[in-house]
Amino acid sequence: MLKKRIIPKFLIRGGRLVKLRRFDDDQREAGNPVSTAKVYDSYGIDELLIVDIDATAQDRVIGSGMVERIAEEVFIPFTAGGGVTSIEAIEALLKVGADKVAINSAAVADPGFVTRAANRFGDQCIVASIDYREEEGGAKRVFTRGGNLPTGMDAGEWALRMQDAHAGEILLTSIDRDGMMNGYDLDLIAALADRLDIPLIASSGAGSLADCKAALDAGASAITISSMFIFTDHSPIKVRTYLQTNGVSVRSQKGSRS
Amino acid sequence: MTIAIIDYGMGNVRSLSNALEYVGADVVLSKDPGELAEADRLLLPGVGAFGDAMAAINASGLRSVLDRLALEERKPVLGVCLGMQLFARRSHEHGEHEGLGWLDAEVVPLKVAAPAKVPHVGWNAVSFSGPNAWLFDGLPDGESDYYFVHSFHMICADPVDRIATCDHGGPVTAAVGRDNLIAAQFHPEKSQDNGLQLLTNWMKHQF
Repeated sequence: MLKKRIIPKFLIRGGRLVKLRRFDDDQREAGNPVSTAKVYDSYGIDELLIVDIDATAQDRVIGSGMVERIAEEVFIPFTAGGGVTSIEAIEALLKVGADKVAINSAAVADPGFVTRAANRFGDQCIVASIDYREEEGGAKRVFTRGGNLPTGMDAGEWALRMQDAHAGEILLTSIDRDGMMNGYDLDLIAALADRLDIPLIASSGAGSLADCKAALDAGASAITISSMFIFTDHSPIKVRTYLQTNGVSVRSQKGSRS
Repeated sequence: MTIAIIDYGMGNVRSLSNALEYVGADVVLSKDPGELAEADRLLLPGVGAFGDAMAAINASGLRSVLDRLALEERKPVLGVCLGMQLFARRSHEHGEHEGLGWLDAEVVPLKVAAPAKVPHVGWNAVSFSGPNAWLFDGLPDGESDYYFVHSFHMICADPVDRIATCDHGGPVTAAVGRDNLIAAQFHPEKSQDNGLQLLTNWMKHQF
């Protein structure tokens, strides 16, 4: 049986791990990405998500040098994202050890890009990353370019369009919940997991062990966790043990070199 | 032991070489027929679409070299992910494409029962049996998780060629092999301890 995945999320700025709140500049330093990845590998986490949050605004791609250094240190799969706008950029990231790439702003600018990338590298390689805010009245609208550019599109509808465009997974990030540790957006997760035929990765909001279980019970195939690992004493081992004890199917193995 | 990773321009070669070096192999990435012939063992990587990969192999001029090393000299070859699928006669990924034909097998879309999703992404436990189950020596049957990321899988004409399966809304082929040709649908290089153990088993095995 396929296990539910626990995915630490690394937000990279200037080569360092950082944490923001609601994508805004309440920045807190969170360490060195390479050494942190190594620690998580020893904990036996299931995957890593690594996003350069300034890449799109600075019109560049997440540095393949850092991706390569991480790949050298860990034997776990990871997704790289940030400024991925070309087939060449994807090729470069895969070559240095990324398993999947996340495409966000470039997908909205040109939905055909997702299809071209999927045809070239396989659907399973392409993660459609969707950032959204909830407006007054409850509408959930997609924003791109690090939350700066409103698109007016409905997040759920966009996720279904990305599935049609041959994305292999949907990474769903609530900007309102980013760094807030107040729980995942369970309503949208449940609605989308039910309608999507491809896996849904729920992102933003984990603050407690119960939050993690709730998102997976709502139908997410995977959850990303960031602040909770950095600012609380909940380690990946603790999350895994809690989920296992409470009937969620997760991997029980230890990590590499354990 | 020298392992040559076959360089035909596609595949997650850095992660594979990192993992093989970690378990003690000397690794070269090569498209040179002499270097491939000299290596003790070969690894066929692959990420991407089947048709593109076969086109790249055929364009590289390596096809006849690989056929000779694999089928006549019977050099041990390990295929990984798309590299495994290339062992088949044919694939039905976006049209119909001829494969290397080293195993009597076809690559077909994964059809799963809801609520299972496709692509099959994540960690899944494999069950193994048959003459090539040595690939999983030291690992508990039905409880060892490996990392999968794929939308197509291989159906072997002779079930004896199927070494391992996992369950994802129905049975999914996880590893195949016959004689010197062994392959995994999952990524051993990304499967932490279980993957490193499998690579060690393959390197130690006397073919």
